[in-house]
Amino acid sequence: MTEGSPRRFEYDGSPGAAQPGETLLTALARERLPILQRSVRYHRPRGPFCGIGQCTGCLVRVNGRPNVRACRYVPKDGDRATSEHAWPSVRFDALGLLDVVFPNGVDNLHGLRRPAFFTGFYQRVVRGLAGYHEPPSDAAAAALKAPVEERNVEVLVIGAGASGRSAAARLVARGLRPLLLDRGLAPQPVPGADLLAGTTVTFLPPASPGRDPPFDALAFTEPGRGVRVRARSVIIATGSYDATLLFGGNDRPGIVTADGALTLTGRGRLPPFRRAVVVGGGERAREVVERLGPHIQAVVAPGEIPPELVRAASDRGIRLYPRSMILSANGRRRVRSLELKARGSGPRFSLPCDAVVLAHRRLPNGPLFFQAGAKMVWRSGTGAYYPDVSEDGATSVPGLYAVGSAAGVLPSSSTESAARAADRIVGGTPDPRPLPRVSDSGRNELEGYYRELLRVPRSGRWIACACEDVLFEEVVTANASGYRGIEVVKRYTGLGTGLCQGRYCLPDALLVLSLLEGRSAPEVGYITQRPPTVPMPIAALAALSGSLTMETP
Amino acid sequence: MTPPSRTSYRTVVVGAGIVGLFTAHHLARSGAGPILVVDRGFLSSGASGRNGGGVRQQWENRATIRLARESVEAYRRFGREFGFNIWFRQGGYLFLAENARELDRLRTVHDLVRSEGLASEVLDPGGVAALVDGIAPEAVVGGTYLRTDGTLYPFPAVWGVYEAARSVGAEVALGVDAKGVSVRDGRVAGVVTSEGTVTAASVVNAAGGWSGDFSRAAGLSVPNVATRHEILATEPLKPFLNPMVVRTSDGLYFSQTMRGEIVGGLTVPHPTGTQGGAPSSIAFLGAMARALAGLIPRLGALGVLRAWSGFYDDTPDGFPVVGEDPRLPGFVHANGFGGHGFMLAPAASRRVARAVLGEGVDLDPQLFSPARFTTPAPASAIEGLQLG
Ligand SMILES: Cc1cc2nc3c(=O)[nH]c(=O)nc-3n(C[C@H](O)[C@H](O)[C@H](O)COP(=O)(O)OP(=O)(O)OC[C@H]3O[C@@H](n4cnc5c(N)ncnc54)[C@H](O)[C@@H]3O)c2cc1C
Ligand code: FES
Repeated sequence: MTEGSPRRFEYDGSPGAAQPGETLLTALARERLPILQRSVRYHRPRGPFCGIGQCTGCLVRVNGRPNVRACRYVPKDGDRATSEHAWPSVRFDALGLLDVVFPNGVDNLHGLRRPAFFTGFYQRVVRGLAGYHEPPSDAAAAALKAPVEERNVEVLVIGAGASGRSAAARLVARGLRPLLLDRGLAPQPVPGADLLAGTTVTFLPPASPGRDPPFDALAFTEPGRGVRVRARSVIIATGSYDATLLFGGNDRPGIVTADGALTLTGRGRLPPFRRAVVVGGGERAREVVERLGPHIQAVVAPGEIPPELVRAASDRGIRLYPRSMILSANGRRRVRSLELKARGSGPRFSLPCDAVVLAHRRLPNGPLFFQAGAKMVWRSGTGAYYPDVSEDGATSVPGLYAVGSAAGVLPSSSTESAARAADRIVGGTPDPRPLPRVSDSGRNELEGYYRELLRVPRSGRWIACACEDVLFEEVVTANASGYRGIEVVKRYTGLGTGLCQGRYCLPDALLVLSLLEGRSAPEVGYITQRPPTVPMPIAALAALSGSLTMETP
Repeated sequence: MTPPSRTSYRTVVVGAGIVGLFTAHHLARSGAGPILVVDRGFLSSGASGRNGGGVRQQWENRATIRLARESVEAYRRFGREFGFNIWFRQGGYLFLAENARELDRLRTVHDLVRSEGLASEVLDPGGVAALVDGIAPEAVVGGTYLRTDGTLYPFPAVWGVYEAARSVGAEVALGVDAKGVSVRDGRVAGVVTSEGTVTAASVVNAAGGWSGDFSRAAGLSVPNVATRHEILATEPLKPFLNPMVVRTSDGLYFSQTMRGEIVGGLTVPHPTGTQGGAPSSIAFLGAMARALAGLIPRLGALGVLRAWSGFYDDTPDGFPVVGEDPRLPGFVHANGFGGHGFMLAPAASRRVARAVLGEGVDLDPQLFSPARFTTPAPASAIEGLQLG
């Protein structure tokens, strides 16, 4: 899809151009990581963070449709994209003063109650500050009216990464024609399997044993079509994503996950930074170093750095800072430097940079397992919940399988895990030997890291939840006021209730709360994720009505 | 889990939802301790943490209107009294009628509400459109509107009452399951919990959707039925909608919260009872989306952010159950609030506390007392406006 002329669009009044198939975000992030957004409460500058349609960093209004994620939107000729929620512009926003005037944040729970006479005034002001965009236009809604696509398949494979593709290929080899869905806009096809690209499964309710087929999944194809898939068996191969990290100014534009850095690069594009600092000491950090080498100046790792990464980095002249803590990211708006400290009694030091790439921890994409009611287990290696599976990938829900890194299988064995699930579905007897998985015993590296970090005086704003602008101090306060457990702290602070559905904030909150509450993370709670996994337009859902029976599981 | 600190209490309240907590607060404040509140879940895990936050005074019965009005006053004072900002915003409740029959019904409610001194208004389609920007033309024939109704944030209300109850001496034990009662000489002598039995002279059944289960565990047959209701929240938008909107025909309701999300629900039938847990359904998402997009077409381009569900505790006549059970002295009901317990809780729980203390309850026993289900001639009044 490289041929064809560029798509001409307008962003905040200025002309822009995107190559065919390119997203609005990559078109806006050619030179450097842009500021696209102001945060909801304090109007802090924000830019793309995840690059994969899961955060709140790249929301724009496109042709009258609010809350469009630039990293998931492929522009058409004549598109009009705008930023709102800022005055006069996202780059120079007078409301950014809120961030300065309230150094300790605004206490929405106890504050703004007095004098009672002012209630109406407070409510108008606070209400006016909420939300990113004005309501949609009628035209935007009309443009999304598309009938729901219905599919009825033997096997649905969710995710076309390495493991999903191998599962699909194996099923094809056994004479089946699976349906493969992937969020990616241009996933690699599997011959013999049907492929729906740009499609996210948003809701996989518990299977109905009495119904044939038992699974009834709801999906959504960008930009606006609903898909309903009925299936006999479902293989979830949704993989994993890069997590966030807590430190001062951890929400500054320029700080991205490895997912973000990699999606903004590739296909002949250079990364939108020159001197990035990569955070992490594992496989993922090495992958980033190998792919973006010349644009990286240093690797900072919470723990030791293994020899392969040392070699990859020194070959490229990249400096290494093992056993280091990030105290804060500084700069006027974008990140300009990182304040670091060697662990233990080591010194503080500062590294100038134009980007920070978080590659220290990968978490499973788990919402569908929760929705489907699969039994979950805690794996301390990454500090996350994974489906409880047998060696052939079978979950506690009959007909539902989990393969690859979503199931905690290490990358080296993900194709093997996929093959086994496929074999099991076609009635074979798969190899029962254990596959290497993320560890389920012992400590998570970050626990010790956070324990030490929390003893250092905090500087800069620690954002515990970027979507809702919840400060880390609010989590500490909730704990100090006796509110225990992730479920309650979530409701007390609002953490995890924003557009990312808690994907980025809850895993770290769980680790930190486990330290603050003095009990293990699983005791602090279970992270539930409610449907849909990504926001689904009301128009696409409304189109379901034709096929809607009122039956429920 | 926080186990009870003693083995003996004067009153045990089952359920740390808004009703149980308000009741414990009233009791503790009147010095009727020691009081224990037990909840098997975490704070706000029941309907009190899952509702739409609507507070309205438009009802089909005078008694309900009066309770709701008292609650509105209580929620207006809440910030001052309880130290938490519940963002109680009086943007009004707008009931929509799609045909003349529905409008007649709303008019009857309007007349009753007016006769109680509340400034309800009947609106023509133009008046409705002025309140609901972007409503589809000819979607309605009219509606009624009461501007002093409104919405609040349930969570801070729960925190506020929780802290207040504890500060006056009530004990709240979370993660503790009440399994039944122990009875001596025909009256309540204690409560059997997952942490052992505690003695108590009275027990308050404020178990929300599980109240029927708890009454039955105590050997009392009750008509309470748990029904699952789903609700969703959209992505946030800048404010454009002031009132809570309720459609008479199908019970569609929605409002725009202080955070800008549209939060609302619609009833789709589910099997009754609590045993299936509280999942969401594709049927609900489809029906709710169709209803919203049909009423305000431009909302089609807005994303649904998350859906969840909770239990209503329904009674056959639509009135809550408040008072001591005549069959088991010491067993006090504070349940049956259907989809409206948050808005009735401040006023109703004051009566529950009086019932526990053996003081007179100024509620029509025909409508509210548990005795109405056990006497041979059931009362004929019903509270039918079970919408939104
Ligand atoms: C989707 C939805 C929308 C709603 N919208 C509104 C609205 O807009 N306005 C309004 O006023 N109301 C609304 N309601 C109704 C309202 O939420 C409830 O009526 C109210 O919260 C009931 O409070 P409660 O304290 O009685 O029950 P709950 O909040 O349900 O509390 C009961 C508690 O009892 C505990 N429990 C139960 N059994 C036991 C046991 N055996 N041992 C220990 N603990 C036990 C449970 O864990 C639970 O925490 C809505 C409800 C739902 C589900
Ligand atoms: S950068 Fe687009 S959603 Fe995260």
